Amino acid sequence: MQLKNVIESPCGLRYMLDELELQSGYARRWLLDMPMLTSAAAIETAYGVVRRFVTFLEQVDTPYINTLRFKLQGLKDIRTTIQNLSKHAVLDDIELFEVKHLAILATEVAALLGKHGMGEVVEIPDLSKVIDILDPDGLKMATFYIYDTYCAELRDVRMQMRRQPDDQDDLLLKASELEEGVRRDLSSQLYPYAQAIEQAQVALAQIDVNLAKAEQICRQGLCFPRLSCSDTSRFTALFHPQVKAALAAAGKEFQPVDIAYSQAPTLITGANMGGKTVVLKTLTMCQYLLQFGFGIPAHEAEMTVVDDVYFCIGDEQSVEKGLSSFAAEMKKIDAVIRASRKDRKILALIDEPARTTNPTEGAALVTALLKVLSGKRMSLVMTTHYDIEPGKARCLRVKGFENGQMNYQLVEVHDGEVPHEALNIAQSLGIDAEWISAAREILNSDFRTT
Amino acid sequence: MEWGSVPSGRTPGPRDGVRALPFIGEILNYGSLSIVGLEKNTGKTECLKYVLERLPLTEKRVAVTSIGIDGETVDQVTRTQKPEIVLREGMYFGTSEMHYRQRRLVSELIDVSDETTSLGRVVTARALTQGKVLLSGPSSGASLRRWMADMRRFDIDLVIIDGALSRLSSASPAVSQSMILATGAAYSANLNTLVQKTAFVVELINLELAARDRREMLMPLEKGVWMIDTDEGLHDLNTLTSLSQDIHFEGMERCAALYVAGALVDSFLEKVRKNKDLKQTEIVVRDFTKIFISPQQFRLFIKAGGRISVLQKSKLIAVTVNPTSPSGYVLDSDLLCNKLREAIHLPVYDLLKSKPCN
Repeated sequence: MQLKNVIESPCGLRYMLDELELQSGYARRWLLDMPMLTSAAAIETAYGVVRRFVTFLEQVDTPYINTLRFKLQGLKDIRTTIQNLSKHAVLDDIELFEVKHLAILATEVAALLGKHGMGEVVEIPDLSKVIDILDPDGLKMATFYIYDTYCAELRDVRMQMRRQPDDQDDLLLKASELEEGVRRDLSSQLYPYAQAIEQAQVALAQIDVNLAKAEQICRQGLCFPRLSCSDTSRFTALFHPQVKAALAAAGKEFQPVDIAYSQAPTLITGANMGGKTVVLKTLTMCQYLLQFGFGIPAHEAEMTVVDDVYFCIGDEQSVEKGLSSFAAEMKKIDAVIRASRKDRKILALIDEPARTTNPTEGAALVTALLKVLSGKRMSLVMTTHYDIEPGKARCLRVKGFENGQMNYQLVEVHDGEVPHEALNIAQSLGIDAEWISAAREILNSDFRTT
Repeated sequence: MEWGSVPSGRTPGPRDGVRALPFIGEILNYGSLSIVGLEKNTGKTECLKYVLERLPLTEKRVAVTSIGIDGETVDQVTRTQKPEIVLREGMYFGTSEMHYRQRRLVSELIDVSDETTSLGRVVTARALTQGKVLLSGPSSGASLRRWMADMRRFDIDLVIIDGALSRLSSASPAVSQSMILATGAAYSANLNTLVQKTAFVVELINLELAARDRREMLMPLEKGVWMIDTDEGLHDLNTLTSLSQDIHFEGMERCAALYVAGALVDSFLEKVRKNKDLKQTEIVVRDFTKIFISPQQFRLFIKAGGRISVLQKSKLIAVTVNPTSPSGYVLDSDLLCNKLREAIHLPVYDLLKSKPCN
């Protein structure tokens, strides 16, 4: 599982990537190709590096960091060139230029980081030998051609070319033969460094990514999570950065929530517009952020590592597969149940399962789902509108309307009874009064939904 | 010396014994020049060659590129010979990877950009000897603009763009500050028609700028049709594209000007002219490359009291003529130059005769 496979998850992970101030396109590709980390040790190591960059950002002057960023903008994807080099191919001028450019960049970035004791945080192989090969005159410039110094005969031919600029055909032919000889020679001199060049390219991408992650943590007020020893995940002042930004743009404030869940299923109930879906989206996003080494959008977070994350959001339609919203949802939940039977640790977040079918069968499906998934080696957080028997599930409820305002805080309750606030909320939205009062009459005249 | 700084090699002056027409000097006043032809074989490449041969490189650091695939040795459509571009020592150039590999000169690579063309990425290099190269630079206006902005890193004073044939968009003021227009018998074999058609293009290129306040207000709006009322208030005529059926909107009687961010076409102009509330209005467009109207509709609109202005304009430095059509038909060069000069009040040159027409 790579970041690129989950980046379009409806939890809003894409937003976090888009908000990352990456300097080079290659770093972005490298990050998208990054595999999801599933061991606590790997995650700790990844956060260790990001932490060092946060300290770096806090302690180092802005102009210095801007210089580093500017340098990283020059990072190019030269994987094809490196592949050619390691296949003993003769590199052409453009490829040799790319290698020289990367070697100089790596040396410069290593020097910049070394000055601030960051040398060992991301190790960049020493490519000074590569530069020597491609800079025979010691000009220290990031430009390249087959220099006269490489070959005395070539220098003579070029001098002749300059003397007689109007009759060059034979000279050009001669020069290009000599140049090709130089290229062959340079390529074989560079061959032993192919691996180091590749490592340098990856190291530069890592620096770009970690610097961007650290900057994002500072700018968005994210936190470093603690890895939980138990199976409990716990967040205080959790927020969804994208929703928060959208609210801020409209002059509104995001109300952070506290939430914890463990292996027993967690059921979230609450009024419409109570932010239940946002909670699920945020939890999903946080799990991915943890396992790709990003900052977590909370004041504090304690989290467990899982092998797979399943996020089932009800209103998806698989148009291309020709499935209705109900069928698409059933298939997704089916995948969760199958996964729960395997020996993998999973986190499943299910938003209002069976919401699109009739309440009688819907409630039965949800109750049964809780039963089936209880006791499995998984964490399950589920929202619902149905009045169901919670069984062993822990129940959380959105506080709901208080004094005409929505309170998004979650409180623990000991029954699965859902609040009946739909009509009040609809009324507060200014929905047609005739419709709402007719509904009230029906409710009052002994009409029961279950 | 700092890593990554730009080499400062010898930059020779104009070649000995080559006299230059006066417009060469004027080019140096601008940071960018595009050379565009009204039709294939109107002498655009000859004009580029002429300019490159005569520019004084001692004063300016010059970079050359072309928009889209151009610079084939043989014109792909008409099969007539096209000269290769000869660069002088010290000139910078942007071309595709493929054509860089085929270059016939010694040059030093200074950049490999992220802009790609069908012939590979755009690379930038400096000529270390005189020689020939095929130019195939950035393939769109936007990528050309990015490439040009990138050239600032190398302290380039003047970028010369070999514009796409019969695609004036590469001469858009959004891209280049100045331009040279190549016209000739290939555009029309009838001398009077050629003069009229060329003069109309020149008239559009030279349309006056809109009032400064309006330019600042409208510049950020890249889409739609807008009305500016008599109090300089801006109204989005959302439902009204320049192609829609009828022009009618609220507050029409208070319309001082209409701004068309996209293409201005005949049908729109005609509807505005026929509307009694609008016929004396000013139409503002982004620049002349957005205007696709016939001379007839333009004249009728002006006659009715309308005006067309632009947000951006580039300086038309000169017009060059090629009196020979690809079919072999030859117009009288002196007569053509004179008539065109009278019509457009700008310098007109036949570069193959290499003397000013006056």
